[in-house]
Amino acid sequence: MTVLFEDFNDIDDLAAGLNDPTPSGRIMAVIELADSADPAAIPYLAGAISDADAGVRKQAALALTDFDGPDTAAALVVALADSVQEVRDAAAVSLTELKEPAAGDALLPHLGSADEFTLVACLAGIKELRRPEAMEPAIAALEHPSPTVRMQAVGVIGWLQDPAALSALQKAAADVDVQVRRVALTALGFSRTEAAESALIAALSDPHWHPREAAAETLAKSGGAACVSHLRRALDDDYWQVRLKAVRSLGKLGAREAAMQIGPLISLDIPNLRKECAAVLGELAVPETRSFLAAFEHDSDPDVRKNVRWALARIDAAAA
Amino acid sequence: MPLAQTATTVPVVVNDDLCIADKGCTVCVDVCPLDVLRIAETAEGSKTAYMKYDECWYCMPCEADCPTGAVTVNLPYLLK
Repeated sequence: MTVLFEDFNDIDDLAAGLNDPTPSGRIMAVIELADSADPAAIPYLAGAISDADAGVRKQAALALTDFDGPDTAAALVVALADSVQEVRDAAAVSLTELKEPAAGDALLPHLGSADEFTLVACLAGIKELRRPEAMEPAIAALEHPSPTVRMQAVGVIGWLQDPAALSALQKAAADVDVQVRRVALTALGFSRTEAAESALIAALSDPHWHPREAAAETLAKSGGAACVSHLRRALDDDYWQVRLKAVRSLGKLGAREAAMQIGPLISLDIPNLRKECAAVLGELAVPETRSFLAAFEHDSDPDVRKNVRWALARIDAAAA
Repeated sequence: MPLAQTATTVPVVVNDDLCIADKGCTVCVDVCPLDVLRIAETAEGSKTAYMKYDECWYCMPCEADCPTGAVTVNLPYLLK
């Protein structure tokens, strides 16, 4: 008989290693329990979160990344209060790997935590679980003095994509912290309302380029014909990153009237921008832009050349 | 041909005191994409990981995943 796998160890046998007198022996037991991928290992790993040795506790928190569900989340929440920062960090990382919505049951009671680290980790953990109950505490967390908390709270609201939270996102889009504004503007992408569009248009004048870039990119999802003139103004932004996103959004919106303004941008000394311009000019296929493209048919960047040739072929096909 | 007078230095260095290969740990060996690490028996009879082939990509999981922090990858100056 062919043996395809090594002898399978019983979970209880593996867990017996957690009683090893040496921390290294217990660490090995934790690794073997994680490698088993058997949910029956979760209670043992949860127990190892309270081990006397910080190395074992850290390994247990890391090992729980391979599992899911409320019990896993509950054990990781315990580890968030560990006395050693490395253990807390490992638990926070593992929490973001949770995918099962039921795991949110263990996180929801901590969304009002007074401890900033716990609050940030639980908000980050519940984000992708998309639990509607998280909306209210997340909106409340937008008033937190820490920008890290506010940014995670915006993430939770953004993932829920609930139109009822639009005003909260609009408020966050005017936050004093640059990164909170950036995340809030990106989160507005789910809404095609006038309110979302006006918040994004206003952000094109943000003093920092990160929110301007996020707004220019998100307008492709939330914006309509009204935002085209604002995106065209963004083509003159000081930062090429903002210009690039404006070009891309104009292409996605099919703004053919902007083609002659995008054309000259292909001559700028930024390959990424040239590549994007070529792709968008091909998408818009305005015959008058052919001369801009033809000048870069032999560009030094292969990606630019490829897009230019594709764009020229589309323009020629449209003209034929 | 003259013999080398100094031991060759390799990028991946394992602290024998921290390494728990003796307990059956093979994490660094398992995660290395180039398979350059091995477990060897020391003169005292215990086991430890070491870099057998000098072909490191400096991808770092051996250092990051070591449960006891025994592995150190010395990055060349130009990669820092």
